[in-house]
Amino acid sequence: MTDILTARNVAKDFGGTGGTLSIIDGLNLAVKKGEFVSLVGPSGCGKTTLLLCLAGLQSLTRGEITFKGVPVMEPPQGLAVVFQDYSRSLLPWNTNLDNILFGMRRVAGDARAKRDRAAELLEAVGLGGFGGHYPWQVSGGMQQRVAIARGLASESELLLLDEPLAAVDAQTRADMQDLFLDLARKFNQTCLLVTHDVEEAVYMAQRVLVLGPRPTKVVREVTIELPRERDQLETREDPAFLAARHEVLSLIRSMRTRKAA
Amino acid sequence: MNESRRIALLGLLVPGAVLVLWQVVAFAKSSPLFPGPIEVTQAIIRNWHEIVSNLGVTLMRAAAGFALATVIMVPLGIFLGRVRWLGEAVSPVIDLVATLPPPAIVPLVMLFAGTGDAAKIVIITYAAGMPLIMNTYEASHTIHPMFSRVARSLHLTRFETMLLIDLPSSLPMIATGARLAVASSLLVSITSEMLLATNGIGVYLQRSQENFQIGSGLAGIAFISAVGIVINALAYRIEQKLLFWHYRR
Ligand SMILES: Nc1ncnc2c1ncn2[C@@H]1O[C@H](COP(=O)(O)OP(=O)(O)O)[C@@H](O)[C@H]1O
Ligand SMILES: [Mg+2]
Repeated sequence: MTDILTARNVAKDFGGTGGTLSIIDGLNLAVKKGEFVSLVGPSGCGKTTLLLCLAGLQSLTRGEITFKGVPVMEPPQGLAVVFQDYSRSLLPWNTNLDNILFGMRRVAGDARAKRDRAAELLEAVGLGGFGGHYPWQVSGGMQQRVAIARGLASESELLLLDEPLAAVDAQTRADMQDLFLDLARKFNQTCLLVTHDVEEAVYMAQRVLVLGPRPTKVVREVTIELPRERDQLETREDPAFLAARHEVLSLIRSMRTRKAA
Repeated sequence: MNESRRIALLGLLVPGAVLVLWQVVAFAKSSPLFPGPIEVTQAIIRNWHEIVSNLGVTLMRAAAGFALATVIMVPLGIFLGRVRWLGEAVSPVIDLVATLPPPAIVPLVMLFAGTGDAAKIVIITYAAGMPLIMNTYEASHTIHPMFSRVARSLHLTRFETMLLIDLPSSLPMIATGARLAVASSLLVSITSEMLLATNGIGVYLQRSQENFQIGSGLAGIAFISAVGIVINALAYRIEQKLLFWHYRR
């Protein structure tokens, strides 16, 4: 299989009044077509910054990112982002349905077919009756689901997700994880999921990339030896799941104690 | 009696008391230079046609100037907000020009637009245009970076971004500018008539004053106030309709 996304030796500094702040340094990663990869790291380690770089929304200080073999300078065609800041990424003057349609502006097809597809996606994320509502009329978790639907609507080859389930309650999160895996498999959607939740990272992915402390880079790659079919009860009790979870958690803990020392 | 009804009653009582007091003083002075509400009402009836036709002319010019200002300044402000270097270069010039009071540009405008309708509309466009461009630019160049990211990641063209993202998200501040612009269009429409006299309610007011017809003058002023109230109410309704997503949020 070919790499759809690669990052080679990526570094990102932010210049400020108090000197430069190095957020990412020497980061390498690759995502293959059809894969579901999780990027896990503690809050503030630079996950959102990395994701914006990968999406072509932020310039690099050093290194190179390629999408389908082409260096990323601007947001490339075929790559969609579900932003962490969902409350601002949805347009408040558009209804939920129109927000999803907005994500389909570059998708081919006539208006009617697009409308049907948008409604179908809204149904899929469990918001069938809320198409005519505005984002500010529904809860944070529901807004996040609209944002996910908009990401899926763009029919992109690669979907970058920035903590898309951080704002939803535990039960909805479990439902959304399964729904998401379902949709990803159905559309053979390549996904890169950014999260600070280790369990979620392991549950969702075929491969987990663990980010180190700032300036961050990928410090470990954990392959999840589980079938693609996942189940909230059985998967989470599977020895392979527990082993992967243990490996990631203990790695993160060792990083924290090293930092404290 | 509940609170809101008491307030409504008070709102009627106070102006009523003022009117009565005014009439009493006017009666006591009994001078043509101090007409009471009854005389003013008579003047309104007597001069109805003259006031309405003059005010119509004034309002048409105000509306033309306001519309022109909106059509020019809103797109320009959005454009300057999106094309950063140009906005940064031009905005100090706008700030400088905006400090000029509209009457100050009258001689300049007369130089190449004469004293007719065109000249007055140019002056009104200027007066209405300044708050519009300043507010539009202020809003569009401080747009939240998230909106720009959404636009870029959805591969919108620059024009689509301006039309579908920048314009709607700037609307609340544009509305503030438009409110100022409506008020100054009316004001400048009337004052420009006093400077470049031909017709309009400003001319009517000036003539009444020159002929010591204070009652007729007050009649004109009462009419302008009434029209102002109606225009404000209308503007409020339009704003609520366009910006419900902003106010109800
Ligand atoms: N535009 C910016 N300018 C300066 N510092 C920034 C900027 N964006 C993010 N940072 C800093 O980078 C660090 C990592 O932020 P972020 O990528 O949002 O982390 P995460 O998503 O992992 O929580 C934070 O300390 C944050 O303050
Ligand atoms: Mg983040």
